[in-house]
Amino acid sequence: MYGMNKFFASTVDAASEYSFEAKNLKKEFDDGQVQALCGVDFRVGQGEFVAVVGPSGCGKTTLLQMLGALDRPSSGTLHYRGNSIADLADPAAYRSQEIGFIFQAFHLLTTFTALENVQIPMFETNRSAVERKQRAIDLLKAVGLAKRLDHFPATLSGGERQRVAIARSLANNPAVLLADEPTGNLDSENARRILELIIGLHRERQLTLVLVTHDMAVARRAARVIRMKDGRILSDRQPDLEGVA
Amino acid sequence: MTFFIVVVRGLMRRPIRTGLTLLGISIGIAAVVALVGLSQGLVESWARGMKARGTDVVVSNMGSALTPKPFSAPVRDRIAHLPHVAATCAILVDLTSIETAQMMVVSGREWNGFSWENLKVVSGRMPRDAEELAVVLGQAAADMLKKKVGDRIQIETTELSVVGIVNGGAWVENSSVILSLSLLQNITDNQGKINIIDIRVTPDTSEKDVETLCEQINRLVPEARAMSASENISNSEVYRILQAMSWGTSLLAVLVGVLGVMNTMLMTVFERKQEISVLLALGWKRGRIICMVLWESALLGLFGGVAGVAIGAVGVQVLGATPAIRGLLKPYVSIELLAISVAIAVTVGLLSGLYPAWRSSRLPPSLALQG
Repeated sequence: MYGMNKFFASTVDAASEYSFEAKNLKKEFDDGQVQALCGVDFRVGQGEFVAVVGPSGCGKTTLLQMLGALDRPSSGTLHYRGNSIADLADPAAYRSQEIGFIFQAFHLLTTFTALENVQIPMFETNRSAVERKQRAIDLLKAVGLAKRLDHFPATLSGGERQRVAIARSLANNPAVLLADEPTGNLDSENARRILELIIGLHRERQLTLVLVTHDMAVARRAARVIRMKDGRILSDRQPDLEGVA
Repeated sequence: MTFFIVVVRGLMRRPIRTGLTLLGISIGIAAVVALVGLSQGLVESWARGMKARGTDVVVSNMGSALTPKPFSAPVRDRIAHLPHVAATCAILVDLTSIETAQMMVVSGREWNGFSWENLKVVSGRMPRDAEELAVVLGQAAADMLKKKVGDRIQIETTELSVVGIVNGGAWVENSSVILSLSLLQNITDNQGKINIIDIRVTPDTSEKDVETLCEQINRLVPEARAMSASENISNSEVYRILQAMSWGTSLLAVLVGVLGVMNTMLMTVFERKQEISVLLALGWKRGRIICMVLWESALLGLFGGVAGVAIGAVGVQVLGATPAIRGLLKPYVSIELLAISVAIAVTVGLLSGLYPAWRSSRLPPSLALQG
């Protein structure tokens, strides 16, 4: 964990027990004609695994954008470890050092090898080129790709590409993983393996994990499931209390 | 992996488009090198010619024609007695087509004037006197006209003998047909007319003295203008026009290059919208994205510039060998011109990248989670 003073205009309560705390969070598009989030309230504890489920257009991806400071809320408050994300002095540094993103479509850079793709986020750190390379090798070994370092994305399978993307998300040792349908583009066997890998990393590194999915089988692996519809939270409870498969 | 490699990989995403853009900018830079090299060659060739003749001050009226305007030969007598003037030599220079050569320098020189002294006979001999119907050819002129000692040469309607081949120590001298002043005056019907007076100053003459001498001459001879040999051609109107045309044409070509680079970089940014958004989502600062786009466009400029300089350096030699130019001047491509050309290319690259870089910096990182 890095000192957060450089991300936030003021440090309020860096010792908050919550990674994220949202109150009446709203997001509107097209001058209020489209309401992606209609005043949601939730908390995510540090090191917690929370799944966000719901149909397409329910606002779950918008929620992930807010958590990752990829977009700003229209109103309401959203705090990261006690600090308002709206007051971020340097959102890029926050994303670089606190957040690891895993995308459904992997979003690897096609002209870079697996080893190079993992190094991309490290350009915003003080690591030397040698350190960046060594860390990328270690991370790719950790996700089981020790023999695929110099392969370009086009020569990797879907599962391997997502493993590279997971290694990349860990490049700067983040405290939070934000995963957007990470198994959505994979066959069932690869999906199972990738999910195990993500959950394993979450436990091993005590990462806060917010995973967006429409697959209840995936969501049931989380400690909590937030169900959304039409920009609102329908329920927020443990998965064993979820009745719908 | 370094940031430079990231930049280079960006250019390699679309190798054909990158190659075509490089070709576009290199043609623009090649035009700069070739055209400016020609105009600089004019100055260099004439300056070296005058240096070879041992000329310190030139009196002529360059005007806007390719050769100086003729004036009365007795003007020379008004100059000869001035302080610091060691010797004078009246010259009538003409540019004319001779047999197969479209444009040759024909230089009629005052018999026994010092401007004959630098000519070293390579074969044959010098004319016996001012009246002999004879010429000597510079070595390059002999090659161009395919003449040797003993051949005949026709200037306007007069046939003369080639009695010698000479080395004049400079390109212009070696590309000239040289004969006595009186002979050329008769052939061209310019009796009593000259268009250049070469002046050699005394050894103790300082630069300041040369300036003073030029001022004196300019007062005495309103029909012509005195200048030190080094600045004579570069101050001529024809050179200025040539230089303006060279730069004007070159800059138009460079402008095409600018549009090419800008188009490529804009296409690159549009195509890579999501990739750039992913980089932003991964924590790259907007400044780094701008830096990446600017580096890419600057590298396009640099590579295009280097290729353009190479093409231009070859191209200017090809241009110099064309019948219209051969013998008139030797193209001169200086290190400064090459450096300026590459600098122009890099600047062009950078400027062309400004707008695409700005556009890239405006992309929202939230695009990364869309699609």
